[in-house]
Amino acid sequence: MNALYDFIREHLQALAATGVLPQPFEYEFVINALLCAVLIGPLLGVLGSMVMIKRMAFFSQSVGNAAMTGVAIGVLIGESYTSPYFSMFGFCLLFALTLKYTQHRTTLANDTLIGVFLSISLAMGASLLLFVSAKINTHVMESVLFGSILAVDHTDMNVLLVVTAICALIGLPLYNGMLLASLNPSLAHARGVRVRSVDYLFVVLVTLVTVACLKIIGAVLVEALLLIPAAAARNISHSLPALVTRAVLIAMFSCVVGILAPMQFHIPVPTGGAIVIVAALVFVVTTVIRATTARFRGASV
Amino acid sequence: MRGPAIVFDNVSLQLAGTRVLDAVSFRVEAGALHCLVGPNGGGKTSLVRTLLGQMPHSGSVRLEGEITTPLGYVPQLLDFDRNVPMTVNDVMALLGQRRPAFLGSSRAAKALRAAALARTGVAAMGAKPFGSLSGGQRQRVLLAQAISPVPWLLILDEPTAGIDEPGVRLVEALVAELHDRGVTILWINHDLEQVRRVAQSVTVINQRVSFHGSPAQWENVR
Repeated sequence: MNALYDFIREHLQALAATGVLPQPFEYEFVINALLCAVLIGPLLGVLGSMVMIKRMAFFSQSVGNAAMTGVAIGVLIGESYTSPYFSMFGFCLLFALTLKYTQHRTTLANDTLIGVFLSISLAMGASLLLFVSAKINTHVMESVLFGSILAVDHTDMNVLLVVTAICALIGLPLYNGMLLASLNPSLAHARGVRVRSVDYLFVVLVTLVTVACLKIIGAVLVEALLLIPAAAARNISHSLPALVTRAVLIAMFSCVVGILAPMQFHIPVPTGGAIVIVAALVFVVTTVIRATTARFRGASV
Repeated sequence: MRGPAIVFDNVSLQLAGTRVLDAVSFRVEAGALHCLVGPNGGGKTSLVRTLLGQMPHSGSVRLEGEITTPLGYVPQLLDFDRNVPMTVNDVMALLGQRRPAFLGSSRAAKALRAAALARTGVAAMGAKPFGSLSGGQRQRVLLAQAISPVPWLLILDEPTAGIDEPGVRLVEALVAELHDRGVTILWINHDLEQVRRVAQSVTVINQRVSFHGSPAQWENVR
């Protein structure tokens, strides 16, 4: 894959050198981040709209916080400070599956249970990160919490590519079943959907995507980028195809603009923050459109 | 060809410490139009859910005969979130095709869907937001999804509750048509007059089976 990344990078850098593309395209890390954005957009758009419909917004936040614990465990067991994927994927999957397992075996309301797990993951993540902070520099901590395009390398891009492929191969054929299972489990059963299995599978996919996007967006804000593009798209959509298409476009737009704008205008903000601010601005615009356009006025998030 | 027979054999179910079904045994014959009646909380919907494989239970529930199409099911309550941006066509696509619903539908799937919606009298509502439909219109859409494709086993959980008179007549006509084609129909029904009118066989259930036989026999023991 590295040859492909180099091929794309060289061409974009050549275009930037001749003035066809903006000056930030001359930097390797900008192109790396933009390549990631191209993958992240569809992932977050499709999955985010489903997260919103399934009312699982704070689930992804819990997983994002759990990733902080994963990073700390990675540092403790001697994984690379910059890419402790083994620990992050391992711990986050364990955390998410435990949450789902508990959800199926308790009478607590979903939001209550997710709130409990969110607090646990935040407390564990913050405590362990502070504990290992002496071993790593503050930039690593900052990139874990808020994302950093400077930290994105070929390993991160490969991880994102593999996660995208997994989501496409497993998630797309089961998309209808996963959505139906949350809308009406009885109907889903009647249509041959293994409700419990697709529930767990969805949790696994959200976890994989959350961890894979962590380098760019950061643990604190990854949930926002899953949710805000979908919520913004919801404001101006009446059908499922419109919702998903617009969520994908808004997520990609937010990533690209959030990466390029701070560089172009020399604004010292972390990538994750910039991306989420752009997404939030789009949300505000779509909210205004909804409030002022008769066609969308009936819609609500 | 006929739909499958349904055999409930000593089915018991306990939920949160409460016994919902107690050794329920009866048989729905292949191709029969069978009504399931009983008081609220008597376990009718729970029994249907055991048939759908949704409830952990003791005893066995089995289908005897060949099943070549997915079973059709019209639920009692539609707990779809009204704010979910889905049109009637999206809901039909979600229920009736393998392609992810957000990627649209093939021409053949659209034709099948349109025919089913037309059959239940909601042909013009395909592009409408599902959440904006009235209860009766939703029931018609649910009925449309249950007959697309035509199933060999149709389970109806009070499909005429909240439907106007023309809607009730439409449901009865549709059920009669499917019954004539050999489809096995299991219908949870509270309208005793309707049961007497349409059913071929009846089971009365209140945790246990208290009656199983023809509507005429049931009239005699009531």
